[in-house]
Amino acid sequence: MKRLAAFLFLCLFGAGCATTHLPPVTQGITFEEDEQRLWLRSEEEERALQRSGVLYRDEALENYLNGIAKKLAPGQTLESIPFRVFVIKNPLLNAFCYPNGQIYVHTGILARMDNEAQLATLLAHEMTHATHRHLVKQFRDVKNKTAFLATLGVVTAPFGALGSLAYTLGGIGTVVSVTGYSRDHEKEADVEGFILMSNAGYDPEEAPKLFVHLKKDLEEEKRKEPFFFGTHPRIQERIDNYQVLLERRVKTNGQGIRNSEGFLKQVGEVILENAQLDLKAGRFKTAQTGAEKYLKIQPGDARGHCLLGDICRQRGEKDDLNSAKEHYQRAISVDSTYPPSYRGMGLIYYKQGDASRAQQFLERYLSACPEAVDRGYIQDYIERCKQGGQP
Amino acid sequence: MKKLLAVAVILAAGCAPWTQVGGVYKSESQNYCVDLPQGWMRWGESEHLLISRDGVLLQNIQIVRHNVKDPLKHTKRKLAKDMLPQEAAEVLLDNATSNPGSTDFRVLENSPVPIGGLPGFKATYTYRNRDGLKCKSVCCGVLAGEYLFAITYNAAERYYFDKDIETFWKIVQSFAFVKAV
Repeated sequence: MKRLAAFLFLCLFGAGCATTHLPPVTQGITFEEDEQRLWLRSEEEERALQRSGVLYRDEALENYLNGIAKKLAPGQTLESIPFRVFVIKNPLLNAFCYPNGQIYVHTGILARMDNEAQLATLLAHEMTHATHRHLVKQFRDVKNKTAFLATLGVVTAPFGALGSLAYTLGGIGTVVSVTGYSRDHEKEADVEGFILMSNAGYDPEEAPKLFVHLKKDLEEEKRKEPFFFGTHPRIQERIDNYQVLLERRVKTNGQGIRNSEGFLKQVGEVILENAQLDLKAGRFKTAQTGAEKYLKIQPGDARGHCLLGDICRQRGEKDDLNSAKEHYQRAISVDSTYPPSYRGMGLIYYKQGDASRAQQFLERYLSACPEAVDRGYIQDYIERCKQGGQP
Repeated sequence: MKKLLAVAVILAAGCAPWTQVGGVYKSESQNYCVDLPQGWMRWGESEHLLISRDGVLLQNIQIVRHNVKDPLKHTKRKLAKDMLPQEAAEVLLDNATSNPGSTDFRVLENSPVPIGGLPGFKATYTYRNRDGLKCKSVCCGVLAGEYLFAITYNAAERYYFDKDIETFWKIVQSFAFVKAV
């Protein structure tokens, strides 16, 4: 309640003051009081996020992401806005930046990218929101009453599809991650972000590709997400803007940095974990794409093969069970010590009434993983198999 | 206008849908009966039974009958009447994991238990709710024909969970079908 009251106060305070014609942040800039409050608020929300358990913790990945952000930001800007990049464990397609330079990227969007150039496009877009002070401009722009009220509406009703994540993000986090910015601010973030990524040496041809992927993904799964990158019109605007920017620019003939290999090596675990989250949400196709992408990076990892087996087994469409067996078998062949592959095989045979094979695989599973959370079921199945019973 | 609003609020407060429960609760339409504890309150009169003693945010017990053909709220995965209890439990756990209203979700146990004389499941998990409060839940369920019956105990992990877990188990043990399934 204190958080809400403070944020409403901030909104009202912002509503009554100062110009919206603000220059981008430069070295030694002094902020007015309302903007200082936004920064303080952002720091408070950052502390809440760090404690919340929603962050994906991987020091090497965070260092890699921060390295790219550093490469993108002009030197003098970094002194005024100390950009820091974090990853949120969440399969939604989203990324956002607080005015003080904290950038949060969801595992969902990270897992969809092909290379570092696409990541740089996203980070540069988000960084521009901070360098060009879009949030304070938005709060000062009280002429736009509808957007202002909508902003309050989101902040005062942080439930529904956003659930506790929105609550954890706090008022500012919800605004920057969910409602996004005005069309003009987004366009500016596209243009300036495009310049940042190109100047850092990245291949500009990659800029629109991320958003093309996201659009395809949304259409395939018919996803309706409340977040900024979860709506088709917003993504289509990004694609259109980047296409225009590309046409105006001198062709690079693919000379810029893409760094697919280095990028995929860094985000491999994110791709796998995100595919597991997609499977839990029943997004089989997206989960399968994620698992296959992971296996291209780590073909010898049983977890990827086993995940494909789980996807097929749980989907249960035509030929899926045979495919599941093949994937589990492959998982066992690359790593005979990974227990879930035996579990998957055992469950299929058990349901098919092949007691002998079911018993063999399930016993192997329990011997490799005696503390499994589902051992009660497995022991029960093994007993039934011994009695030659059917499920 | 303000006066009208105040009157509406007072009237609404006067019609609070909480009622005392205790003893046998039988629902012919939902085809089950259970023994409910004394001193607990029931919210509303809908077919979904929701009871609490100290307030739903601190502890609650729900009994829900879900048609396996109906979609679940947070996952596109589906239940099926020929599922093993373990598979049904995993679908419900995936639904709970995918709930954006909770974070830091952990499954502690998923094991078989008989419910109403049929093979069922017991899944125990923890999560943080929207206020960051760590909660613990036990969901006991059973597939019976076209329906999944789920009896769920949900409480703040600290202090409250242990306080009423015995009450929950008594309810689960008393669960019976009104008509054979």
